[in-house]
Amino acid sequence: MHRIEIEAEHDVLSLNKRLAKENREFLSKHGVIAINVMGAIGSGKTLLIEKTVEALKGEVKIGAILGDVIAKEDYERVVKHGIKAEPLNTGKECHLDAHLVHHVIEKFGDVDVLFIENVGNLICPVDFDLGEKYRVVMVSVTEGDDVVSKHPEIFRLADVIIINKVALAEAVEADVDKMVEDARKLNPKAKIIKMDLKKEIGFEEWLEWLKCALRSRGE
Amino acid sequence: MHELSYAQALLEEILRLAEENNAKRVVKIHLRIGELLLINPEQLKFCFSAISRGTVAEGAEIEIEFIKPEIVCTKCGRRFDEVIGICDCGGIVSINGGKDFLLKKVEMEVE
Repeated sequence: MHRIEIEAEHDVLSLNKRLAKENREFLSKHGVIAINVMGAIGSGKTLLIEKTVEALKGEVKIGAILGDVIAKEDYERVVKHGIKAEPLNTGKECHLDAHLVHHVIEKFGDVDVLFIENVGNLICPVDFDLGEKYRVVMVSVTEGDDVVSKHPEIFRLADVIIINKVALAEAVEADVDKMVEDARKLNPKAKIIKMDLKKEIGFEEWLEWLKCALRSRGE
Repeated sequence: MHELSYAQALLEEILRLAEENNAKRVVKIHLRIGELLLINPEQLKFCFSAISRGTVAEGAEIEIEFIKPEIVCTKCGRRFDEVIGICDCGGIVSINGGKDFLLKKVEMEVE
């Protein structure tokens, strides 16, 4: 018996990277804009999708992939709005990965926008590319106004940062401007939206961003 | 605990290499991990030890070398140790690297 050393130089993330690339190529070929919707539990991710579908009905064809430990609840909420959707149960996992998305992506070749709602948390989904074009990160003031500064990496990599439930800020003593400033310092290029989905605050700004993303499709 | 996903991907590659080289036992695994990858090294080691039980990689030691990202202001060239988006001079800070997860080297016992 003797000992040998093997120079492996192997990228442990290569499988996810390859499948994300395949997902991205499929989406791009069919002109689909995929948006990875990430954020904390209860921050309003599913409601954002529901309201967007209603607002753009007849104008933009939307599909949705709903990822959760048990995705049935979110799936049932979204299909009520008459769109094509797929639930993805992650079981023991706290994030979606490109492999899970790869299983269902071909069903969405005919939509304009594909929302991929990730599992609710601000850590685990960060390093798993799904093949999306944009990342939207949603948090709410009720999570505490230090939630942005405590999770720099997810905000650094976001294209849109939504701070939801701003109408509740006073009641929970959260400083919305601090949250915006923390986000801006981490990611000066991101679009930052102060929102309250139930009070129609910031929603138009979101729709404008989405329409702009649709116009720049294929660029 | 997303470290389980990483541990599984790592174990698959280790077992492939072990089989390719007719290894009786994997002794040591050398990893290079970017500091910005959200990974807890202790949890990774714990997950790996749990899922490698009963395989040739059971009991293998894991050594991790952490790789720093390059964080530089695009305007004044100042370098930073921590993630930041805007420099004091008002310039946008660029962040490169720090996201890799490489299996560098594997030590194993063969006949």
